[in-house]
Amino acid sequence: MESKHLTFSDFMSYVSRNSGMLWEYFIQHLTMVVIGLGLAVIVGVPLGILCSKNKWAAKVILFITNILQVVPSLAMLVVLMLWLGLGTKTVMVGLFLYSLNPIARNTYVGLKQVDPSYLESGKGIGMSAFQLLIKVRFPLSLTYIMSGLRIAAVIAIGVVTIAPLVGGGGLGREIYAGLNSNNSLRIFAGAIPAALLAIVADIVLGILQRKMDLTKRKSGAAPAPTKVQKIL
Amino acid sequence: MKLNKLKWIPMLVCAIILTGLTSACGIKSEVTIGTQTYTETKILAEMYKALIEDRTNLNVDIIPDLASSSLVINAMKRDDVQMATLYTGEIFNNHFPISGTKDRKEVLKEAQEGFQKHYQFTWMEPLGFENTYAFTIRKELAESKGYTKISDVKKDMANMKLGVDTTWLERSTDGYPAFSKAYGIKFGQIFPMEISLVYSAVANKQVDIVLAYSTDSRLKAYNLQTLQDDKQFFPPYDASPVLRSDLLKKHPEIKDAIAPLIGHLDADTMISLNYQVDIEKKSEREVANAYLKQKGLLKG
Repeated sequence: MESKHLTFSDFMSYVSRNSGMLWEYFIQHLTMVVIGLGLAVIVGVPLGILCSKNKWAAKVILFITNILQVVPSLAMLVVLMLWLGLGTKTVMVGLFLYSLNPIARNTYVGLKQVDPSYLESGKGIGMSAFQLLIKVRFPLSLTYIMSGLRIAAVIAIGVVTIAPLVGGGGLGREIYAGLNSNNSLRIFAGAIPAALLAIVADIVLGILQRKMDLTKRKSGAAPAPTKVQKIL
Repeated sequence: MKLNKLKWIPMLVCAIILTGLTSACGIKSEVTIGTQTYTETKILAEMYKALIEDRTNLNVDIIPDLASSSLVINAMKRDDVQMATLYTGEIFNNHFPISGTKDRKEVLKEAQEGFQKHYQFTWMEPLGFENTYAFTIRKELAESKGYTKISDVKKDMANMKLGVDTTWLERSTDGYPAFSKAYGIKFGQIFPMEISLVYSAVANKQVDIVLAYSTDSRLKAYNLQTLQDDKQFFPPYDASPVLRSDLLKKHPEIKDAIAPLIGHLDADTMISLNYQVDIEKKSEREVANAYLKQKGLLKG
């Protein structure tokens, strides 16, 4: 038996009839992603800084976060569930662990790529190592950190769809409900907003990333060399 | 500096984190029922919920779609979930040492005693139906090749594509390795998938044979035929409500509330209830409440 042919208007009417529920799932989805990523930024950026200070630390930290990212997402969530229990908390910790690698790695790469001549001039005007980090290296690596966040966000939005399997909420609940009751309308009603969310997050973070790219910005005090070359 | 304009981002993040954390500490229900990913356990959970809320003062919550029965058991052990529907064959899943018998009554006894002793769960008497694994093929293929039992497919096994749910491949005692040994059958190709996808996969000829659940309504809807387990490889899978014993001690009325279901749900009833959800697209709650009302079990 084939399920009956479904049209776009069936889909729209399902969505409008259940908009309250879908909105609630959407907010749960977004909340889990934002909290997981927020934690990863709070921990991952300092880890990236630590990596840039110490080669040995870089090896260890990047190795561990890499391994964390390779663990299949359902396996990770199930293991975390045994320790943290069912629900959103487990999912957020899982996302946190998944997002650490792109964020720490990109912070590290960003800090490393800063042109040494800037650091020399900073030193020349008597900046301390801390001032150099905060006022020169960090702003100049923001665009790299943002690209890490962008990767992490897109992955996280996808991973959150399996949250229901460990008792979490989000749009995945609608996808699994559709999968298990053989109802493609519900699968779409969960999957399409999740996909759109990933696309929108990618675009918005991309715009932010461009805005934070200080090397491409005109500045009265110190024009970036690439810009100068272009003008010349 | 233009960067100041971006200050709202951390503030927004903080705001979302705060709302998330406060909403996480909502009101807790006294009883939480966990369900596996398939329809049957969800209908039963809705029945328990309706009966308990109708006959006691307790509030019941349902957490659907938990990845596997072992996850459900672990969640019960942690007290995240206090109640679930489990099947006696579960004891073959390495929870505690067992004798290995496949006698229906013995397996039930082992489940009841073992889960009480090792997990402090109360395994109630069976609801009355069994939901076991069944090898399933398209009816027309079965008729053209004359397959009626599992041993019949052995001669074509190398060319057959098998669709199964992922957990069965891993289960050591009642999973694929043991099955292979018992029947001497090794299929040409194996496609692990979500259990709910196997039915359409075999109906649409993407695979030739699948391991299905015997009470699934889609066997009927897709015109599929199950093969007889002629070597009695699969253990019995009688469904029972299972509760944490400490919950029952505190609220013995729960047992009385769901007692009318015990022994009264046969396989045909379950298939037709599953059919209403899976094929007729009704909600689990609708189907559960309609059944209870029709049987005169709901007072409200």
